[in-house]
Amino acid sequence: MNERLRRTTRYLHDRLLDLDRLLRGEATRPDAVGGKRLEVSARGMAAIAVLLAMFYGACMGSFSLLKSVPESLDDPYGPFLQVLASTIKTPALFLLTLVVTLPSLYVSNALIGSRLTLLGMTRLLTASIAVNLAVLASLGTIVLFFSLTTNSYPFILLLNVAAFSVAGVLGLMFLLQTLHRVLSPDEAASTEPPAAIDDADALPESDEEAPEPAAIDMPAGQMLGRHTKLVFRCWLVLFSLVGAQMGWVLRPFIGNPELAFSFFRPKESNFFAAVFGALGKLLLGGG
Amino acid sequence: MHALLRTADAVLRRGARSTAPEASPPTLPRLLLCVLAFGGFYGVVMGLYRTLNGQPDGALQALYSASKTPLLILGSFVIGLPVFFVLSTLLGLRRDFGRSVRALISAQAATAIALAALAPVTLLFYLSTADYQQALLFNGVCFAVASCAGQAVLRGHFRPLIARNPRHRGLLVGWAIAYLFVAVQLAWLLRPFIGSGLRVTVFRPEAWDNAYVVVVRLVWSLFTGD
Repeated sequence: MNERLRRTTRYLHDRLLDLDRLLRGEATRPDAVGGKRLEVSARGMAAIAVLLAMFYGACMGSFSLLKSVPESLDDPYGPFLQVLASTIKTPALFLLTLVVTLPSLYVSNALIGSRLTLLGMTRLLTASIAVNLAVLASLGTIVLFFSLTTNSYPFILLLNVAAFSVAGVLGLMFLLQTLHRVLSPDEAASTEPPAAIDDADALPESDEEAPEPAAIDMPAGQMLGRHTKLVFRCWLVLFSLVGAQMGWVLRPFIGNPELAFSFFRPKESNFFAAVFGALGKLLLGGG
Repeated sequence: MHALLRTADAVLRRGARSTAPEASPPTLPRLLLCVLAFGGFYGVVMGLYRTLNGQPDGALQALYSASKTPLLILGSFVIGLPVFFVLSTLLGLRRDFGRSVRALISAQAATAIALAALAPVTLLFYLSTADYQQALLFNGVCFAVASCAGQAVLRGHFRPLIARNPRHRGLLVGWAIAYLFVAVQLAWLLRPFIGSGLRVTVFRPEAWDNAYVVVVRLVWSLFTGD
């Protein structure tokens, strides 16, 4: 039992180090992806992504705690169940979106003529999701703080939309740059590093070589290839549409304090209408 | 006390040693002590409003304000730190993370020191007027001025880092947004800092509220006349 626990801990620790390498940009440098593949374990990244998503889900669901509910609502365990549900549903949102889109992504990828294999593509996508979730989890402390101290449901709804947007944009930047490096390793590897900055105020270390490009940076002097742009656009459209719909199907993630807890909501409206509705409530009151 | 003042002097002069890897004092515990001591001192002065205007339980309000001011400065910093860590990693700036955090903590200390320096002016203001709204506004101005001092120290520490890698500028902007976003709400929650009325309370009865929602609705009602 102890041995198994030690092995699991060790495994997660190593995968966290992999994620750290991804975030630092070390795993996606031209020399690292020169072999046309990303050297990270898809399964390992998925495991880390699940843990990060669970953390953010718990932060998101915590809005239900410490709230006064209408007296007519007899739901003593509702807030705790909502936290539990959000903790389960957030990783499900990302993993199910990946599962649903993977076949279409692979087909479009093959049709475009990209040299990415199914395994390579899965690795790349799980890595991007892990980066996305790392940013999201880091915003979790802010979301938790506001969730516990705010009564306004529309505000929290919009705050979470903003957090998902910020994390999504950074995750997509990582995906685009990594795609570029994987699909055009030859040009990437031959790139000259940018010139060092000459400044009187610079630190003593500034006479070292120029900084390596970050995980979300375009290496200097390079342009996105036609394939990269096309693959990325296809992925972006598919992933966004399926992700938004999946989020809508799996709602509630936050839990309206005026409604009793339910694991799923009835079919109605759509994601964008809900966001505009929350904005209206925030401005006009009633939230 | 002497060591604390020496640390404060080192923070304000923002010598290169504060960001050097082999940094001598000011060390982290000393910087934190600066926030607690100077922030607490300003809190005491801020809470003297009741005493100077003949309202009951002035000492209790001063004690609450003394504990709330460092909590406001450090709380915003701690809540925003995970975002700063992930952003600095993602921007390829992890090598400078230790230095960046030292610069951030120095900025928090500088804010507290600037507040403490403004304490005599606040006291003078309290002695000149009994108007609560004016006292509130004046303290708001003091916090804004102290924040500018903190920002100046932060910029000073980050200048060599930005010179070496311009991406630090973007990191600073990201940090400023996260820090301000949290600080405004935390300040709203920790009210009252000055205290007026018959009873002293740790928090306002309607403390669990949202500063942004209140402001948005206020602005909206100004436009619509509701």
